[in-house]
Amino acid sequence: MIEAAPLPAIRRRRWELTRLLSMGFASLAALAFLGMLALFAVQSLPIWRHAGMDFLLGESWFFRAQRFGVLPMVYGTLAVSAVALLTAAPLGIGAALLTAEVLPRRGRLAIKTAIELLAGIPSVVYGLLGVLLLRNWMHRLLSPWEPLSGDTLLTGGVLLGVMVLPTIMTLADDALSGIPAAQRLAARALGLNRAETAFRISLRQALPGLASAVLLGLGRALGETIAVFLVIGRQDNQWPQRLLSLQPLTGAGQTLTTKLGGSETFLAYGDLLHWGAMMGLSLVLFGVVALVNLAGARLAMRRDGRA
Amino acid sequence: MLRTGKLLLTFGCLLAAGLAFAAKPLRINGSTTVNPVVAEAAEILRAERGLTIHVDTQGGSSGGIAALGDGRAEIAMISRPLEDEDRTRYPKAHFQPIRIGSDAVALVVSRDVWVGGVHSLSKAEVQGIYEGRIRSWRELGGSERRIVFFNKEPGRGTWEVFAHWAYGDPQKAPLVNLPEVGANEEALNKVASTQGAISQLSSSWADGKRVFALGIKKEDGKVVQPALTAVRDGSYPLARPLQVVTDGPPRGESKALVDFLLSPRGQALVEKHGYLAVSGKAAAR
Repeated sequence: MIEAAPLPAIRRRRWELTRLLSMGFASLAALAFLGMLALFAVQSLPIWRHAGMDFLLGESWFFRAQRFGVLPMVYGTLAVSAVALLTAAPLGIGAALLTAEVLPRRGRLAIKTAIELLAGIPSVVYGLLGVLLLRNWMHRLLSPWEPLSGDTLLTGGVLLGVMVLPTIMTLADDALSGIPAAQRLAARALGLNRAETAFRISLRQALPGLASAVLLGLGRALGETIAVFLVIGRQDNQWPQRLLSLQPLTGAGQTLTTKLGGSETFLAYGDLLHWGAMMGLSLVLFGVVALVNLAGARLAMRRDGRA
Repeated sequence: MLRTGKLLLTFGCLLAAGLAFAAKPLRINGSTTVNPVVAEAAEILRAERGLTIHVDTQGGSSGGIAALGDGRAEIAMISRPLEDEDRTRYPKAHFQPIRIGSDAVALVVSRDVWVGGVHSLSKAEVQGIYEGRIRSWRELGGSERRIVFFNKEPGRGTWEVFAHWAYGDPQKAPLVNLPEVGANEEALNKVASTQGAISQLSSSWADGKRVFALGIKKEDGKVVQPALTAVRDGSYPLARPLQVVTDGPPRGESKALVDFLLSPRGQALVEKHGYLAVSGKAAAR
């Protein structure tokens, strides 16, 4: 608590009001969060009663047979997100290195603004581009592995990678630019050249910030629905025979979000168990996204604490 | 203090005004097959009578029924008969289906399959493909290519009509894992852009250039094409009604839209989009 010089009564009153208002709104946001969590938990009760842990560990989902297992969808979500990060992280951090270390201020702003503009494009547009271009490219590219169609986990992952690229790039640029200039000057004075300074000093110093950029990108990737929906094939129960095999990536699949975005949600209405299963899916998705975002925010805090 | 108060007041007024403005649009949701007709009718009513109408296609036929049953829409569009299950699911609603036309569900294939020589399928063959027992078009007289079945999502009118025909009852349809497609536009595009593809789709959406509608081989060996004439005389087995549904008899703006759809101008729209008008006395179930 910082105690400023005593304020005149009227200004103090106004300050009180401001504080009251902002606290009110903050707690409103917190309440909305808790309310949502409670809603998911309560409405998903039937499925926990029906399946218990089998809901989390089950490998098959047939709603007409009342079998509900989320594992293949968790796998799909993780696989797609991993591909997205593998695509976007090197590109994004590479671009950030260019803007933060190489370009002059004006050039940095121009490129940063251009990339940030990409983040404003609605995801359905990315989805359409995916349907029109990426699906066909992927089908041709993967032809040695004989995919049935261009709708694969890999297609979804690459498309997501393009979508989270702006997030990762702009946050990574912030992290790199936050490294004090004195550090760079010292490195240069010690005889390191520009590339060495960038890789040995800036990149290393900014590591927590870069990690948080990637994690926040992951948070966005996990929640994205529409674009992935259009190119992933939405095939249920694609649980891989061997977990570390890359083969399933060339096949269609389903993620938590594409399942929730499909018309099954409408069918589930009115059927307590089926609806509970859909709410359980939401809860699982909610949990995964919350974990990733928390981790990202923590890293970001550490970065800011240090800088 | 005063300024904050004023600000809050303005904000409140804006909110109230916004709510008042958004008060009474006619909300329609459901089937992507019925949508083109209703959307165009809505466009005309907007222009001629200044009605506010929102047409949406969230979740297909079942999505429409869910929206109507939940009070999130005043009219549902469905491309299948109204089932008892719909009524038991929403016991408080009094669903009133109004038929505005008829249509056929076709099995459509991509160009390479059509050119490869597959022009019709029997029910047993379709079951074989659906259940994954038949995997190559060669087994059906086509070229050597794997079959890619894009299954319409359960809950879509098209899927329900298909499952009724192939298995007698959607509840009895086998549990399969197939890639799924939703809206008609999506099914059309995916079939058109994938070699060896087949899907269920409204026959009027099969343009005969990018996707091709197969005939159905009946048990006596006769092949019936999913043409409107075959829908009219009842010989094509996957015919279906196109309907709008209201909760209770249509009133007010709902009635205006329904009346328009049943009027000669509305029925002309039905025919314009390739469906069979009600006056065609279709024998479809």
